[in-house]
Amino acid sequence: MERQVNRLFLFFAVLFIALIAQLTYVQVYAAPTLRVHAANTRALDAEMRVQRGLIVSADGVVLAENHKDGPYYLRDYPHPELAAPWLGYADLRYGRAGVERVYNAELSGETGVLAVRNFLDKITGRPQRGADLQVTIDTRVQEAAVSGLGDQVGAVVALDPRTGKVLALASSPRYDPNTVADDWKALAQHPGRPLVDRGVQGLYPPGSTFKAIVAAGALQEGTVTPETTFVDVGFWVAGGYRVNNYGGKVYGKHTFTQAFAESINTTFAKVGVELGADRLSHYAEAFGFNARPPWPLGGAKSFFPPAGAMDTAHVAQASIGQGKVLATPLEMALVAAGIANGGVVMEPTVVEEWRDYRQTVVGRPEPKVWLTPITPQTAATERGLMIEVVNEGTGTKAALPSVQVAGKTGTAEVDSGAPHAWFIGFAPADHPEVAVAVLVEHGGTGGSVAAPIARAVIAAALGR
Amino acid sequence: MSERNRELVLLLPAMLVTTIGFALVYIEQSAALEWTSLAYGAAFLGLFGLVHVAARFAVPRADPYLLPVTALLSSLGILMLYRLNVRLAMQQTVWLLVGLLLFLIVLVGLRNYRVLADYKYVVGSAGLALLLLTIVAGREVNGARLWIRVAGIGFQPPEFAKLLLIIFFAAYLDQVREFLTVSTRRVVGVAIPPIRYLGPLFVIWGLAILMMIFMKDLGTSLLFYGALLALMYVATGRFFYVVVGAILLAVGAAALYSTFPHVQLRVDIWLDPWKDTAGRGYQIVQSLFALASGGLGGTGLGGGFLVMRSGNTIIPALETDFIFSAIGEELGLVGAVAIILLYLLFVYRGLRIAIASNDDFSRLLATGLSAIFGLQAFLIIGGVTKLIPLTGITLPFVSYGGSSIVANFALLALLLVVSDRAARVVRPEAG
Repeated sequence: MERQVNRLFLFFAVLFIALIAQLTYVQVYAAPTLRVHAANTRALDAEMRVQRGLIVSADGVVLAENHKDGPYYLRDYPHPELAAPWLGYADLRYGRAGVERVYNAELSGETGVLAVRNFLDKITGRPQRGADLQVTIDTRVQEAAVSGLGDQVGAVVALDPRTGKVLALASSPRYDPNTVADDWKALAQHPGRPLVDRGVQGLYPPGSTFKAIVAAGALQEGTVTPETTFVDVGFWVAGGYRVNNYGGKVYGKHTFTQAFAESINTTFAKVGVELGADRLSHYAEAFGFNARPPWPLGGAKSFFPPAGAMDTAHVAQASIGQGKVLATPLEMALVAAGIANGGVVMEPTVVEEWRDYRQTVVGRPEPKVWLTPITPQTAATERGLMIEVVNEGTGTKAALPSVQVAGKTGTAEVDSGAPHAWFIGFAPADHPEVAVAVLVEHGGTGGSVAAPIARAVIAAALGR
Repeated sequence: MSERNRELVLLLPAMLVTTIGFALVYIEQSAALEWTSLAYGAAFLGLFGLVHVAARFAVPRADPYLLPVTALLSSLGILMLYRLNVRLAMQQTVWLLVGLLLFLIVLVGLRNYRVLADYKYVVGSAGLALLLLTIVAGREVNGARLWIRVAGIGFQPPEFAKLLLIIFFAAYLDQVREFLTVSTRRVVGVAIPPIRYLGPLFVIWGLAILMMIFMKDLGTSLLFYGALLALMYVATGRFFYVVVGAILLAVGAAALYSTFPHVQLRVDIWLDPWKDTAGRGYQIVQSLFALASGGLGGTGLGGGFLVMRSGNTIIPALETDFIFSAIGEELGLVGAVAIILLYLLFVYRGLRIAIASNDDFSRLLATGLSAIFGLQAFLIIGGVTKLIPLTGITLPFVSYGGSSIVANFALLALLLVVSDRAARVVRPEAG
């Protein structure tokens, strides 16, 4: 009988090992899938019971706060027009987006900067709260960007070139984060795609704003100086591709400075072809093309075709920002910022600082260098070119009376409809405090449509 | 070290775990640590201390591991209940006291437990009557008809029936095992035992089928049937009985599957609960979510998402059938595996008692009690982890339920008196 009892025990051991194996499968192996399963509301439910941190603008305006409904804290956005889409939303059903998604751990206090403090609060019985977030967005600049865009479809990015702090990030059309759950179906089907943040996710041909990179490369390589002279006859044929000037203009003899100020396509095609596909591609990538931007809320990669895949015609096209070249407004703002900041592109950031509910600062990210595409000398020379654009060239509508603005317009041809209007720039030109990129989809010429918006945003940023 | 001193030493960590556990739940719920939270630990220390002292006098040589394992399981159960629903924890504490009282009565009153073998038909009939009573008068709770009400108190007769029937099986098989092992006929090379001694097998088979139909519960059927097969195997040494028994049950179950929708439903939910996560699959799916939420280390006592604002638990029947899911969430894989190992240790010690016993009735009794205990733990843990179809039975000593805890303390007491006798009486044939 002893043998049978031993076998019976073995049988039980096998049963219980099967239990342990199954339990390990559920609790460890399958757990990550189960935790995010659509039918699993426990995580979200638990988080909605925590008082989420406030989101406050750089100038102290509350952009996200809470009200209590039963056991849940629900989110309110007092200035929805300034918040969407970068700030995002936090909804029981549709989840989170934007700042609410990326900084959820800190805002909900469960992990990140406040984890230890919240644990202590739990033991000592103080109410649990997430960390308050002060963002770098300044409502005065954001307001200027939003009203500048108005009903036009487009985007504005403004940032401090010295630190990478993003002061404004507007995209139009927008949604209202307060009613995003109710409006979901309509928003998802809206042809203007209001849920997309055009400033960081929209990819557009950069048009003549790309000449800022061509000029930077040519100046850095010494293939041109501001005084180099060119002759324009209204067109230039490169590898069978005919480059025309915008509006069919003929400029005759001119300097490189004038070519930049008037945005002469034939000259830039020549400069670009002389620079060559390899170096053109090198400078595009040196300014951040083909790289994931270090924007914390996520954004699209701007695209420059691989050098090996380009013939002369492609190079000529790319030199005027047409063809296959695609850029986000954020990328073009970073190009302007890099030139403004002596050839150093800072990582764009949105977090000013984290505070606990006693208003003690618990975290403040340091500015970080992202790229150094050109030397300070090249940057200084190019600043001069960009000043001429605003003073004498295509960008006069960006000029401000009491401060020198520098910039570059862009009018990007598209397959159908009016061209996209672009403007990138910065001010004050000698010690820049703000860099900006404006894009209006099918807006017309950059100088007439985008430059005035940039002007208003720059004025708001400089407090003038 | 003597058995009882060993038991005393092992009780200490159990009580320490209880005290710390209560303190943690108290912090989580009241946001402050108070002395009353520590009082629970002290109270359990006192309670099991008293039981230990009684064991010193009544069963001095009994197994020293079973009582500490039980103490840990039952205090952990009350701890989880306290965290889920303070009122239920208080009721369970009362049931624990009743259980300990019955434990003491069995310990002292049934020291000469072998007389039970002489009354096996009385005991067996009583067990059978309890089951039939449930079938006839049972009330349906959580889709299974396992409850009857006596004087306003809910009562689960199968919990007690399992003790009585194990005693009967042990006594009966002790008596007829020789006839079952000596085969008189052979059919196609297989030895066929005399059919008339297989009576209990058929009775229990019929009963299991009846229970599946009328109680709507697979668990209790499997429990009794499985325990009987285990006993027949140990008594006769013939795996043949297990095979025949399994085939019989499979045939019955297959017939039921196609005829009775509730059996079909249970199996279908087990096969794919994800089809209807908000309806039929809700309970098991939520159980898996709870376990996944616990992960390796658990959310900590009181940290799990178990009770909703309304006071209802997120998993229906969390305090009874699904208590293991709550443990898995809050104590994690580490804690849950520890619980499984505690049950395995209990089964191991129970079967050691069987081996150490010096008469067949004692051996079979200890085997049967250990097997039905282990099987019950396996069925419900396997059910809530979706290893096997879910059945509505309790997790011994841990789940909320007076009948369960009282009956299991009686089971423990029986194992201890068998163990004490095994250690005191020298085996005649071993000399």
